[in-house]
Order: sequence, then structure tokens, then C-alpha cells
Amino acid sequence: AATAPGKKITARLKRTLPVRGPQAPTLSELMRWYCLNTNTHGCRRIVVSRGRLRRLLWIVLTLSAVGLILWQCAELLMNYYSASVSVTVQFQKLPFPAVTICNINPYKYSAMKEYLYELDKETKKALETFYGFSEGKSKVRRSVDDWNSTGSDFFEQIPLLKVEDFSRTATELHSGQKRKIEGSVFHKDSSIVNSGDSNDIIGFQLCDANNSSECALYTFSSGVNAIQEWYKLHYMNIMAQIPLEIKEKLSYSAEDLLLTCFFDGLSCDKRHFTRFHHPLHGNCYTFNSGESGTILSTSTGGSEYGLQVVLYIDEADYNPFLVTSTGAKIMVHDQNEYPFIEDIGTEIETAAATSIGMHFTQSRKLSKPYSDCTETGADIPVENLYNKSYSLQICLHSCFQKAMVESCGCAQYAQPLPAGAEYCNYKRNPNWMYCYYRLHEKFVKEQLGCQQICKEACSFKEWALTTSIAQWPSVVSEDWMLRVLSWDKGQKLNKKLNKTDLANLMVFYKDLNERFISENPANTLVILLSNFGGQLGLWMSCSVVCVIEIVEVFFIDSLSIVLRRQWQRAKKWWSGRQQGRAAQATASDVERQGHENPACIDEDLPTFTTALRLPLPQDSPLPRTPPPNYSTLRLETAFTEQLPDTLELGQ
Amino acid sequence: MNLKKYLVRALHRLQKGPGYTYKELLVWYCDNTNTHGPKRIIKEGPKKKLIWFFLTLLFASLVFWQWGILINTYLSYNVTSSLSIGFKTMKFPAVTICNANPFKYSEVKPLLKELDRLIEAALERILQPTPGNSTENMSLPLDLELWNQIPLVLIDEHDKDNPIILDIFETNQTAVDNETAMDTNATLEEKKYKLAVKLCSQQGSENCTYRNFSSAAQAVTEWYILQSTSILSKVPLHERIRMGYQAEDMILACLYGAEPCNYKNFTQIYHPDHGNCYIFNWGMDEEALNSSNPGAEFGLKLILDISQQDYIPYLSSAAGARLMLHQQKSFPFLKDQGIYAMAGTETSIGVLVDELERMGYPYSDCTVNGSDVPVRNLYSQYNTSYSIQACLRSCFQNHMVEICGCGHYMFPLPEGVNYCNNEDNPGWAYCYSSLRSSIKQRQICIDSCKETCNDTQYKMTISMADWPSEASEDWIFHILSYERDMSTNVTLDRNGIIKLNIYFQEYNYRTISESAATTIVWLLSSLGGQFGFWMGGSVLCLIEFGEIIIDSLWITIINVISWCKGLKQRRARARYPDAPPTVSELVEAHTNLGFQHEPVGAVPGAPALPPEPGTPPPNYDSLRVQPPDTLGPDSDAD
Repeated sequence: AATAPGKKITARLKRTLPVRGPQAPTLSELMRWYCLNTNTHGCRRIVVSRGRLRRLLWIVLTLSAVGLILWQCAELLMNYYSASVSVTVQFQKLPFPAVTICNINPYKYSAMKEYLYELDKETKKALETFYGFSEGKSKVRRSVDDWNSTGSDFFEQIPLLKVEDFSRTATELHSGQKRKIEGSVFHKDSSIVNSGDSNDIIGFQLCDANNSSECALYTFSSGVNAIQEWYKLHYMNIMAQIPLEIKEKLSYSAEDLLLTCFFDGLSCDKRHFTRFHHPLHGNCYTFNSGESGTILSTSTGGSEYGLQVVLYIDEADYNPFLVTSTGAKIMVHDQNEYPFIEDIGTEIETAAATSIGMHFTQSRKLSKPYSDCTETGADIPVENLYNKSYSLQICLHSCFQKAMVESCGCAQYAQPLPAGAEYCNYKRNPNWMYCYYRLHEKFVKEQLGCQQICKEACSFKEWALTTSIAQWPSVVSEDWMLRVLSWDKGQKLNKKLNKTDLANLMVFYKDLNERFISENPANTLVILLSNFGGQLGLWMSCSVVCVIEIVEVFFIDSLSIVLRRQWQRAKKWWSGRQQGRAAQATASDVERQGHENPACIDEDLPTFTTALRLPLPQDSPLPRTPPPNYSTLRLETAFTEQLPDTLELGQ
Repeated sequence: MNLKKYLVRALHRLQKGPGYTYKELLVWYCDNTNTHGPKRIIKEGPKKKLIWFFLTLLFASLVFWQWGILINTYLSYNVTSSLSIGFKTMKFPAVTICNANPFKYSEVKPLLKELDRLIEAALERILQPTPGNSTENMSLPLDLELWNQIPLVLIDEHDKDNPIILDIFETNQTAVDNETAMDTNATLEEKKYKLAVKLCSQQGSENCTYRNFSSAAQAVTEWYILQSTSILSKVPLHERIRMGYQAEDMILACLYGAEPCNYKNFTQIYHPDHGNCYIFNWGMDEEALNSSNPGAEFGLKLILDISQQDYIPYLSSAAGARLMLHQQKSFPFLKDQGIYAMAGTETSIGVLVDELERMGYPYSDCTVNGSDVPVRNLYSQYNTSYSIQACLRSCFQNHMVEICGCGHYMFPLPEGVNYCNNEDNPGWAYCYSSLRSSIKQRQICIDSCKETCNDTQYKMTISMADWPSEASEDWIFHILSYERDMSTNVTLDRNGIIKLNIYFQEYNYRTISESAATTIVWLLSSLGGQFGFWMGGSVLCLIEFGEIIIDSLWITIINVISWCKGLKQRRARARYPDAPPTVSELVEAHTNLGFQHEPVGAVPGAPALPPEPGTPPPNYDSLRVQPPDTLGPDSDAD
């Protein structure tokens, strides 16, 4: 009574254990059973085929089908991360972009006089001594006096040189002394330098302040470029020392720049413009910057419904050395985008009406893992110095500025300041120019690693511009137009406006079609699985069930058969040691019997006595009844030997 | 015959009751279906049976879930785009050329004389350093009635909260005089005056709005446009065409490729904005020209004269030619897509055709020919094809006619409606101005118009150079003037002459064409792939399943009928204590494993038994005494 519950429990456990031992006693039996009963095609053919050649053929075919499936599925997996492009066009109310307008000249020359007086004087002096140019021939802007005060700091810091030949001697233009050029020569315009006419080459030399033997010579084919570049270096140096508030005052105000404004058939004024101070262009004004919280939109295309402004470009107040062209620069950009007006601005001519038709395109790429772009820039290890959304341009500029602060100790004037840094100037950083040029050289040659770190943004908006110019004002309307505009400008401007001081600008949508180019994942998991299914089905009529079967048969069952055999061998060896040599012969016999004996294949392996009690192997036919001729009964008899524990008779 | 046989058989079946049970049916199905899961439910041991049952269920639900996703994907009608770039022989675009100024001032002067005098006088007053200090020096009395229809007013904004409105030619000037006199000094320092256009719904009525302008130049232009529109809309069309620029005056030279052409190759069209416009290669009557070579040498070269001296001074302040490239048979909307060419320059335009071919409904919401757009296309009178601009303008004009009762001069007229003018429709300017700035009206038009499926854009690369050069100027002007009117007088100058080169770029087309991302073939193969992947199934498996459902329905019907019969019989009389055993019972005995212990001969002899009063056994394989595979008991003997 005590043992009965225990047995019951074990019996129950056996029943509830989900997986029983494999139904086939040997591996070949298992394979045979598998091939006959599997749902995949091909395998069965191997077993059923008669004749060695045919069987071989089927083995080859089945294996090649398996190979093809694996190959195709690998192909599918590898192409999983591919994208398809779709272009949608939507006709709708479009948000009007921000339009940033700058005067090409950054600061009023008259107001800048006190800062630039020394520099201009030096420049003029240089022009006269080197080129025989005197101010009197051109418009007399201001009296050229005090030639004697030789405060030639500028030339001492960066001497302008005339390169005589390639034996590396040069004449200092300012003092007339000859000096030897040391260090490397950087050609700003190498193709002309290589032509060999070295007499005309002008340049300036930048030396490392700490180590004066390390110099770099920058050469230009023309004195115009050399003087302008030289002037710009000094100019940036001076401007870096002026605080922002003063610079904003020195530049143009909105009233100065904008004469009339008209948007979407309605008048607008300076309140619709946001000031934005650009280091190289002074005060710029952004129309529709979105700072007031609302972004204007256009619901009708065409020139009448866009932005129309008349700009006042005070040509007489231009800096003669810094800028040599007249007009305005504009840029159409998104509200969140920083306007890199010096890089991608469009120039506007004076005395003309410039009509700019826009066409809006929006693009979106898929980010990782489809392509190497960034959504927000948060994953880029470069701090965004601009207070605007990420773009490649911003990243490159920020990266350069960071490198500049790191290696030169001060920040470059044209880009925003990183925290805790200040702009370069001579007084604090006497070495900065040399350092800057070196760094810039490196940056251009992609040695700073900025181009590698920075990634493109995943989505961007683009306004394709069609620019055309008409004469404005026309000959017959010039008279009244100038009079009325002068009245608009107000009485404080006492002179009558000249048409070369004015520029008319029209920015409008050519059509309200928004093109949206987007990448979409070409594959989803569902499609991948369908494709797998298609491949499996095409070559072998296989499915996940087959895969489970394969796992079951080839791994679990085969492994358990092998393990079982090993276990028995070990047991045999153990019992052999226990029973000694004499018993070994019989033990091996028993083992052989037990091996073929279906009863032996159970979790509890048979002992000698139980093995004897079990029925004899079937190769000696017993006088027993033939099995009933029912198909239902024969379903289980797939094997030549039926294991009793796998039969469902106990139910 | 067959039908009758079938019906008889069905009747017999109904009478005799079901030959098999649900369980048999299911077992048979599982055993014989081609889907992979169910067979294992039958064949495996009891524990595995359970596992396989759940696996099969899981796979079946996976299949259905993924099918749902696939069908959803298909129904979203996604498209993929493909891009092709290259050079091929293409139709040269239609080129529309207009003068920026609509009419010759010399011709239109009699009509606008009064208006010009008014505006000059008004400007005289405005531009005086101290407004209000009226010194009347008008030689002729002004036509104040014209002025009063749409007057310009000066708004004094010294007091921000109470702006004072000053009429420029006002009769009640005295009242204003006092006010302005005090502020004379202030005006010198700061501009406090603004110009505005006064628009009233009815003349003299109180319902007026002031359209403010921050700039007087803008205000004057707008006012002039409103007034001149009203005047010119009364002029009949042929008269307006006569007042505009004639082709022979405007187009001085023309060369297409190596072939000469002249103004006769251009189609004249009257454009409300720009007067007479001339279209080259419009393709209305003749075949469109093809261009098979890139480069300026093979394009269209034109020399135009815009005679800037003859411009209407207040109407258009920009001078130049207006041109536009567009598709054949489409109406040129110069205000939207046109570009300027500057006088005294040579403008070269390299063209790249950017084409977008889209699939229509249901892939995208576009229209092929505009017939399904609920807006009457007024531009169809020009015989042109549908375009979104035409739709928007027609929509506006239809609204204008509906609300203001007259049509605007800039757009074509619907039938039976006249253009607006100040005499017949005194409130039109007010009505038009409010309609124009109405966001709601625009949105209605945007919503009701659809873009076309084939969108062609001409991307232009524009470059300019001064032309003619100083050295060649003299002879070029001489020849061109001579050719025009056979006289030696030079009638041309730099301010009027324009050279144009229009040609295809090296890569002249870029076509983005759409194709469906999901086709029905894609859907079917994906569905098949899913079914095959999880269960190894096919359509036939679905049919099998359907068959089983029909069979089980059939069993249900028969069962219900037999149950009813049995009920009736039992109610009537219980003749037999037991009902005779049905075949199903016998069959159950077959599958019953308990029968095994019985003598062997008893059950196999069942077919040999004398026929029972029951249906013959169903024709299922499971009942057949047939080996399930090639390995029968015979192979045991091997």
C-alpha cells in the first residue's frame, strides 16, 4: 500500500512529462521515419526511390534545394535594410519660409570711422607706396592726412611681401627690406603661381609668435586679393574687441534697410522682421522668423502674394576695402535653420527688381540602420554652438570653432562663441592668426576629423529658387517712384534717393505644390517572413512546422539516441568491471539483446533480470495473432519494431 | 438527370441520417489535410498532441494576423518612385513672351488721362513738406467723381489711438487744417503719415474700410491698378488688343536652331495681366517642335523690343520682358511661373524638364484632365488643358461673380457676366478686396482644386550678360530699326532691347515616375508566403477547410432532422426498445481500441455482414482498410 502511491506518482510523472524518448532505436531508423513522415518534399523521395542512382539524384536535389533556400534567405536578410523612395506632391497652404536680408556692407562706414581710422590710413598708405595709388583720383571721401604718424603696427604684425622668386627671398613692401622666407609656402591660388611668373606674387607672412622660425607665407596672384585678405584679418581683429551692443548700433537699423514691405497683398513693416546679428554681415533682418509665435503661410501662389520689399542700400557709406560689391544678400531658409548667409546667400542687385520664385521640396531620409544620418544631432559629439536646429553646416562650423578654441586658445570671429571662450585678438592672443591659418588648412584637408564626425541631417527642407531680374524703376516711372520713396523714407533724409541705392525684391511661391521625397523601409518583418515562406515553399514545400520537426529530429532525438548509446556503453563498461571477465561475455550478449529490445529503451534502464523477463526480439517469430488489419492501428507501426512505451495502448 | 440523381441521393441521406460524426470528420481532416500542423496533432503522443494543438493554433492566428497586416498595407496604396535622367528627343517647351507693361501708353493715354492728372495732383499734395498747406495751382478742374469712387486718404498717426483721416482733395479741409497746422514741426522730424485706400461697399455709405499701406509707393500703385482696372474693363477686347504691343513691333528677330522664324510663328493671346502675349510652339494648330540636340546653338534665339519709353508710368514700375516656359496647350500663368528678362541684356536660359508622373486614384489624389474637379474651368475657352492655377483662378472668379455680381478683369468671364467697373458696380473694389484677403475663400478653392497627375516643370538656369556690346551697339540698332520700319532712323535703344536664348541643357529630362509598391500579385505572393511559412498551406488547404465546414454543416442538418424524426417517432410510439445501431456506431467500434481483444474474425467481417438498415459507410480514407504508407505488414516480413 505504501509503494503503490509512489509508483502511481512516477507513472503519472512519466505521463505528464512532455517529451518521451525518441521513437526510433537507432539513428538510421530515426532518419527513415523522418523522411517518410515529414511534410517537406524531397526527403521522402530519397527513401522511396529504388536504385542507387535515383536515390543519389534525389539526395543531391534535396540538398541543393536546402542550399538554395539558405542562400536566398541569407540574401533576403542582407537586403532587409533597404529603402524605397516615394515622392508625394501635395497641393496645400504652404508655410512661408523665413527670408533673411542683409546689406552686403556690414557696418556704416561713417560710424566705423573711429575704429578703423588707423587701419584705413595704413592701407591707403600701403596702396600709395606700393602701387602709386592716391585717393585723389577716386572719389574724395575723407581727407588723407597724418601720413607721418607711422603707427605701422599692422605691418609689423603681418608684413605684406613681394615674392621675387622661388629661391625664397622676398621684399617687405612696407620697409623695403629683403628677408628670407622660412617655413612653408601656402598658395591661395596655386595654378597661377605655378605658371612661373613670380614677379607679381604678393603675399603675407604669418609667423608663430613663440617660435619665429616657423612661418607660413600666403601668396596671392593679385594684390587685390592680398590686400583684401590682409585687411580682413585686421578688421576681424578689431571687430572682435567691440561688444555686440555697440556693433548692433553701428550697423543698419530696420528703418534704414527696409523702405517698403508688402506681403500677401497686405502691408507689413519692420515689426515683421527680426534682427539677427551676423558677424560678417552686420545686422540682418529675418522676415517671418517665427519668433512672434506665428509663422505666416501662403495660400495663393504668384508674385502678388509673396513678399515684396524695397531695400535701401546706402552705397556711399560702404567700406571700400572690406566689400567691393554693392547690393544685398538674401537667403530663404526654414525658421529653425541658421542662415549661413555668407555661404549660401543670393546676391541682389541695385536698381533692379529681383523676382525669386520658390518651389518647396521636403526630403526625409531614414536614419539608422538604413543610412548614416542624424535626426536631431544629439548623437553627434560636437556641441551645437548655434541656437538653431542641427545641420551639417552647423556641425562643421561648431567643430572648427571647438578645434580653434582648443589649439589656439580663442575663438574665431565669424562663428558663435563657445562657453567660456572669447574672440581672438592681437592683444591677448598674438599668435592667433598663424594658428588660425594652420588650422584652416588642416580643416580643408580633412585632417581635423570634422568631416568624419559630422553627419548629414535626416530631414531637410529646400526651397529651389528661380531668380530673374528686371529693370526697376522703369525709365518712365523712375521720377515719381523716387519721389514717393523719398517721402516714405521720411524727411530726415534730406537728399533725394538715387535708384542705385534701391533694390526691389520679390519672393513668392511659384506654385503651392509641396514635393515630399521620403524614404520608406522597403521591407517589414511581415514581408520578410512572407518571402521566407515563399522561398521555403517554392523549393521544398517547407514551413515552420518542418523547421520544428527538423529541430526535433535532428537535434533532440538524434542527440538523445547518441546520448543513450553512450550511457549504455558506460553502463556496460561499469557492469563489466563489476562482474568480472567471466560474466562479460553474457553481459555483452545481454547488452546486445537489450539494445534491440524495445523495452530497454526507457528512462529506467533494464537490469539483467528484467531484460530476461521481457519478450524476445522479434526476429524469432512468435506464434502470435497477426495484427488486426485496421488502418487506425497501423498508424503507429511506422517502425519495424514498435516500442511498447510509445504505444498508446494504456489509455 | 445528374441533378435529379444528386437530389435523390441527398434525400436518401436526409432520410437515413448521418453516417459519421464530427469527431471522425475532424480526425479525418487532420490526418489528410496538406497543412502541416494538424497532422501532428493526430499522430503524436498525448503530451505532444497538446503542444502541437497549441502550436497549430498559434500559427493559424499568426497567419491571420499577418494577413491582416498585408491586406492593410495593400489597401494603403503605397507607391515607389523611380528616377530617370538623360537626354532624348523632347518637345521644345511652349515659350510665352509678354511685355511687362500691358498697353502702349501712347494708345491708352486718352483713357487714363484723367487718372494720371488726379494722381499727379495727389502726389503733389502728399509730397509737400507740410501737408494741408493747400496751394491750389491746378489749371484744369480735376475729375473728382472718379477720385471719390475710390479715394486715397492720408492717415495722421500722431495720436496712435485716434488716427485722423485726411482726404487729400477734401472739401472739409478747414477742419483738418487746424489739426495739421499744430504738427507741422513734428512732421519734419518723423514720418507720421500713412496713405490708405478707402474702400466703401456703396458710394457714400458708412460701410467703409481703409486699406493701410506702410509705403506710399505701394499705395499709389494699388490705387492706380484698381482705378485703371475699372476703366479698362469697359473697353472691348479687340480694342484692348489694338492698344497692346503688336507682334511685329515686339519680336524683331527669331531663330529656332538653324531655321529662321519670325513673328508669324507666334500665337497671339490676350493676357489680362500683360496685354498681348505671344506664344511660340504652343502646339494648338500644328505639331509641337522637337529638339534633339542640347546646347544654345539648337535652341530658340529671340531679339525683342519692349520700348520702355511707352510704358504706363504708374501701372508697372519694373521694366523688362516677361516670359515663361510651359507645356504645349497649357495656359501661361505668368504671375506665378514667369520670369523677367532685363532690357539691354542677353539672357540665356538652359532648360531641364522635370517631370513627375503620378498614378491617379487610389494611389494619389490627383486628376488626369480635371473633369472630376467640382470647379467650372473658365480657361477652357482658351482651349487649354486643365491646370491647378486655372482651377484656382476659375474658383476665385466664380466666387467673385457669386458675391460681387461681376467678374474681375484679370480672369476670364463666365457666360452672361460683365467685368466690374465703378459705374455699374460701385462697391466692387470693396467686395473684391475683402474677397481677396479672405482666408476662408482661399481654403475653399484649395480644397476643391486638385493637382494634375503629370506635373511638368521647366527648371531654368538663367544667366545674363550685357547686350549689345558697346562696340556692336550702333550697327545692331541700325539694322534692327531698319528692318522694322524700313527707315534709317534708329528707333531702338538699350532700354528696350532684349536678347533671349532658350535651349536644352545637356541632360534635358529628369522624370520621376511612380509605380505601385503593392500590386495584387505582390499581395497574393505575400499571403501565400505567410501561409506557407507558418503552416505550409496553400489555397487548396483553404478549400479543404471550407469543405470540412460544409460537411460539418451537412452533419448538423442531418442530425437535426434525425433528431426531429426521432422525437416524432418517440412521441408516436416506441415500437422498438432500441434503435438499430447506426453505421457510425459500427465505425466507432472500428476505431475503438477496445475491440482488439475480441476475436479477430468478428470485426473485419463487418463489410460481409448482411446489409443493415443504415447508410453505407462514408467514403473516407480513414475508414478504408488501406495501409497509410508503403510500409504495411508485408514489409514487416522482409
